Amino acid sequence: MSDKWLYSGVWFSLFLILLFSMGGGIWGADSTFGHWTGDMFRNLCHQDPNRSFYVNNLQMAVNSRCFGVFAGLFLGWTLIPLFVKAKLKKNPFLWLLLLALIIQIIDYVGNHYELWVNSNESRLIFGCFLGLSASLSIYDLFKSKNQKSL
Amino acid sequence: MNEEKESEFEKLTFQDYLPSSTLVGVIFGLVTSVVGLFFIYQQINSEPSTSMLGMFMGSLSMLAVCLIAACAGLVAVWHFTKEVTSTLKLGQGAVIGFLTGAVIAVVSVLLSELWATFIDPEMMRNYADSMIANFEAMDMPQSTLDDIAESFEEGDSMFRQLFINIPLYGVLNLITALIGVKIFADKPEDTF
Repeated sequence: MSDKWLYSGVWFSLFLILLFSMGGGIWGADSTFGHWTGDMFRNLCHQDPNRSFYVNNLQMAVNSRCFGVFAGLFLGWTLIPLFVKAKLKKNPFLWLLLLALIIQIIDYVGNHYELWVNSNESRLIFGCFLGLSASLSIYDLFKSKNQKSL
Repeated sequence: MNEEKESEFEKLTFQDYLPSSTLVGVIFGLVTSVVGLFFIYQQINSEPSTSMLGMFMGSLSMLAVCLIAACAGLVAVWHFTKEVTSTLKLGQGAVIGFLTGAVIAVVSVLLSELWATFIDPEMMRNYADSMIANFEAMDMPQSTLDDIAESFEEGDSMFRQLFINIPLYGVLNLITALIGVKIFADKPEDTF
């Protein structure tokens, strides 16, 4: 595997982002709003209480879809070394990333026009799919010269 | 020809990354700020309702803002491959992405500070009132409403916002920049 420092740095950053996105509940805060975790994601996520999960009875710092994206990014990034070692002939994840983006748009539009009602769980799953495919779409860039020539 | 390309890309310095990162970062920072402001005012001017439309518009703004902001890394790498060199290492793409995210954070924080200081000092207060009115209409618990009101009243210092936003936008754009490297860049020749 190449670029191990870059891989490790991003892995650690994604771990912290995922941890902080869980909001004030895991830090013993009274509320996520006003807590530094809530402030951290305020410009990035609408933090709608009805569309968020709760940890220790406190709202997470991001909504369920954003949490899914961050969880997927972290999970996908963690799996990169496994895919680097696997001998896949082609990387399918760039197409899956496109599919995940299209699913996000369809889910959003369908919910908006009341064709269906999405839930926190469905938003989490679709968000996770997007994050996972985003991370894994670049796994082959981490192959070392020897692995590429195989 | 390949040797020329190799040496060109090996000689790259920090200054070579800056034009693409700055240009794309400033454009995306401006766009996200304008989109964000547009929806803040739309929220302020809307009536409180339980129909979720107001909240939906808020959600849409944030979805648009975060999608736009996160795609900047990919665009910056595309610009770099067009203007500087098409051969790019993974680490170089990461630098471009992180720098672009940092520029977006700086531009959007500066613009929101300027707007709130000189153009409409009441904007955030009005926005908070509108959001709280919506939450009240949705029968949110009073404790949550108090926390939200307190959070808006306290505000955030510019440096704290920068301290928080630069790493966050930086990492997200770093990842999209790596996707940009995969799509747009020629990988350095594997020489033994």
